[in-house]
Amino acid sequence: MEEAKEIEAGETATSSRKVIILDPKEIEAGETATSSRKVIILDPKEIEAREANQIEAGETSTSPRKVITFDPKLVINKGILILGFVMRLFAVFGTIGSALAMGTTQESVVSLTQLTLLKAKYSDLPTLMFFVVANAIAGGYLVISLPVSIFHIISTKARTSRIILLVIDTVMLALVSSGASAATATVYLAHEGNTTANWPPICQQFDAFCQRISGSLIGSFCALVLLMLIVINSAISISRL
Amino acid sequence: MKNESATIDVPAESSSAMKGKAPLIGLARDHATTGSGGYKRGLSIFDFLLRLAAIVAALAAAATMGTSDETLPFFTQFLQFEASYDDLPTFQFFVIAMAIVAGYLVLSLPFSVITIVRPLATAPRLLLLVLDTAALALNTAAASSAAAISYLAHNGNQNTNWLSICQQFGDFCQKSSGAVVSAFVSVVFFTILIVLSGVALKRP
Repeated sequence: MEEAKEIEAGETATSSRKVIILDPKEIEAGETATSSRKVIILDPKEIEAREANQIEAGETSTSPRKVITFDPKLVINKGILILGFVMRLFAVFGTIGSALAMGTTQESVVSLTQLTLLKAKYSDLPTLMFFVVANAIAGGYLVISLPVSIFHIISTKARTSRIILLVIDTVMLALVSSGASAATATVYLAHEGNTTANWPPICQQFDAFCQRISGSLIGSFCALVLLMLIVINSAISISRL
Repeated sequence: MKNESATIDVPAESSSAMKGKAPLIGLARDHATTGSGGYKRGLSIFDFLLRLAAIVAALAAAATMGTSDETLPFFTQFLQFEASYDDLPTFQFFVIAMAIVAGYLVLSLPFSVITIVRPLATAPRLLLLVLDTAALALNTAAASSAAAISYLAHNGNQNTNWLSICQQFGDFCQKSSGAVVSAFVSVVFFTILIVLSGVALKRP
C-alpha cells in the first residue's frame, strides 16, 4: 500500500487534490475486512482524466445549460392552488348569476275574480331580497379574491393572507348557505302552501315567477358546493406550504 | 504517467459510526413540547371546548324545536288551534338536521382529543376541517330556513296573503324562535372551529 504523499492534516482548498470516498460496496475483492471505507487521493491529472468521462450533470456557471427539476411535491402544490382558482371562477358565475336571475323577476297577472292586476316581484318577499343581497356580496368578494388567489399561486410565502382568505371564505360559505336555504324555504312555501298556518300557495297564480325563482336557486347551491370545496382546498394548501 | 494517487485506510472504529451506532450529536427534539407544538396544543384544547359548547347549542336547538307543541284551549270550526313542528316541513328538516349536527359533533370529539395528544399531526385536523365544513353548511341551511319561516310566522306577508300566526300561537312562536337563535349560535361556533383548524394546520 503506498503511503500518502504530501498529505498534511488540514489541507484546504489550495490543494488541487480531490478526495473520493468509496462506499463499502465499491471495495474490490481482496481488501481486508477491517477497513470499511477507502479514501483515494487523486492527482490533478487524474482528476482531469476522470472528469472528462463524467456526465455534465448540474453544471452551473461554466456551461450555459440550465437544469430544471420537476419536484412532484411542488407540482402537486401548484396544481391544488390552480384548482382552487378555477373553482373560485365558477363560484363567481354561480353566485352572480343567481343574484341576477332572482333580481330580475317580476310578473303581472290579471286576476279575473277581483278584476285587478296582481304584480309579483322578488322584493315582495323579504327572504328573496336577502337571497339576492347575500349572493351579490359573496359574488363581489369572490371577484376580489381572484387576483389574491393568483398571487398565492405565484408566491408561496404569503401565509397570513391565505389564512385571511380562509376566514372570509368560511364566512361567505355561511352567508351563501343561509341565503340559499332561506330562499328555498320560501319557494317551497310558495309551491306548497301550508294548511296549519293558512298560507295559500301562490305558484298557482304566478307560474312564470315561481319557475324563475326556483331556477335561480340552482346556481346558488352549486356555488355553495364550490365554496365548500374552496375552503377545503385552502386548508390543504395551507398544510402543504 | 506516474501514478501519484495514494490510498488511505480508514480504521474500523468509524464503521460503527456509519452503521448508526454513534452517539447522537444533538438532543432529539421532543416534538410534543417544542414551541410550535405548544401553541397548536392550546388551539386543540380550545377546539375541544368549543366542540362541547357547540354540542350543547345544537342539542338545545333540536330539543326546543322538537317539544314546541302548543294547543290552544278553545276551538271553532274554521281555524286550526294546534301547532307543532310537525306541521311545517321546514321545522321538521330543522329538527332532523340539528340532530345530525349534534351527533356528528359527539362523534368528532375523539378526533379532537387526538389532535390534543398529537399536535403536529395534520391528518386528523384536515379530516375535522373537511367534516366541519359540511356540518357548517348543513347547520346554516337548517337555521336559516327555519329563520325564514319564523320571520313569516312573526310578520306575515301581505302580498301573498300569508297571515302571521304568532298572535295566536305565542308559546309555539317563542320556542321555535329560541331554537333558531340557538342554531345560529352553533353556526358561529362552527365558523370558529374551521378557522382554528385552518390556523393550526400552518406548517411551522
